[in-house]
Amino acid sequence: MNGLRAVALALIAATNLAGAACGGAGEPEPEVRLATEAAGTHTRVTLIPAGHVKLNARLKPALELADGSVLRFDSARLTADSAYFAEPPSALLPGRHRRVRGILRASICENDAPVCRALVLEL
Amino acid sequence: MPRSALALLLPTLAVAAGALGPESSSRALSQARHPLTGVRAPGPAPSWKNTSWLNADRPLTLEALGGRVVLLNFWVFTCGNCTRTVPSLVDFDRKYRERGLTLIGIHTPEFPPYAGEHDRENVARALARYDIEYPNAQDNDAKTWDLYGIRYWPSFVLIDRRGVIRYEGYGEFHLNDGTYQLWDRRIRELLEE
Repeated sequence: MNGLRAVALALIAATNLAGAACGGAGEPEPEVRLATEAAGTHTRVTLIPAGHVKLNARLKPALELADGSVLRFDSARLTADSAYFAEPPSALLPGRHRRVRGILRASICENDAPVCRALVLEL
Repeated sequence: MPRSALALLLPTLAVAAGALGPESSSRALSQARHPLTGVRAPGPAPSWKNTSWLNADRPLTLEALGGRVVLLNFWVFTCGNCTRTVPSLVDFDRKYRERGLTLIGIHTPEFPPYAGEHDRENVARALARYDIEYPNAQDNDAKTWDLYGIRYWPSFVLIDRRGVIRYEGYGEFHLNDGTYQLWDRRIRELLEE
């Protein structure tokens, strides 16, 4: 991984987080997970969707930080209609962080669902 | 089980019941305050109060539209499912406006203002891009969205000439597909009453 050391891989259940907390096998897969890794003096944060959802690329996912700044996730690879990310989008967070805090927003679609829906998660 | 957990679990249960699609997390939190919020057909359509309109000389009110069939489309220009449905709505507007249909876009942003969805000029550009000539209201505070208990982009509410909600639905559809034909039949039914 270009000498970069993986710092953390946080599994984040999104809309089903609470449901998953209720426990039990067969719980739905988390809709997104957040991966962080060192990138020089920064931390690269990557938003990885579960297999059954797509991330809306027209409304770039955002991480709202406590200081009021907003990190926007992006990727150069989009689907042919440019509506969705074709690879997980990422953002560079200044400094080294083992854990990312803030409010994560993403617009997601299940692959078979003809609707958009907002995902908001306090990290 | 915490209330928030219940709100988040409900969509899964609803999907399992075949009643609803997936839930919006952000809206789920507001839905949790009113678990069954939203007008359900048939019932009187609530009056929206939006003040910023495009493709209209003045704010449109439900009261002023009395005697017309009204199709509300809750959408946002960043939603591909919404914009891919627009050609069908433009078609409905062109076919049925003269016969008594008023199509109204309720433009409700998904993200906070930094994403640009609240910007009137951005909405105006989207209307031009998609050849939308029917009125659109900016619903930047999501009050009309909440008033109607909407959960998904895009969603639809069809109101008859007496101001009664007769049909609701959500999800992308395309010119002449089955869902298009369903809405087309519903519109014609109400126009003929």
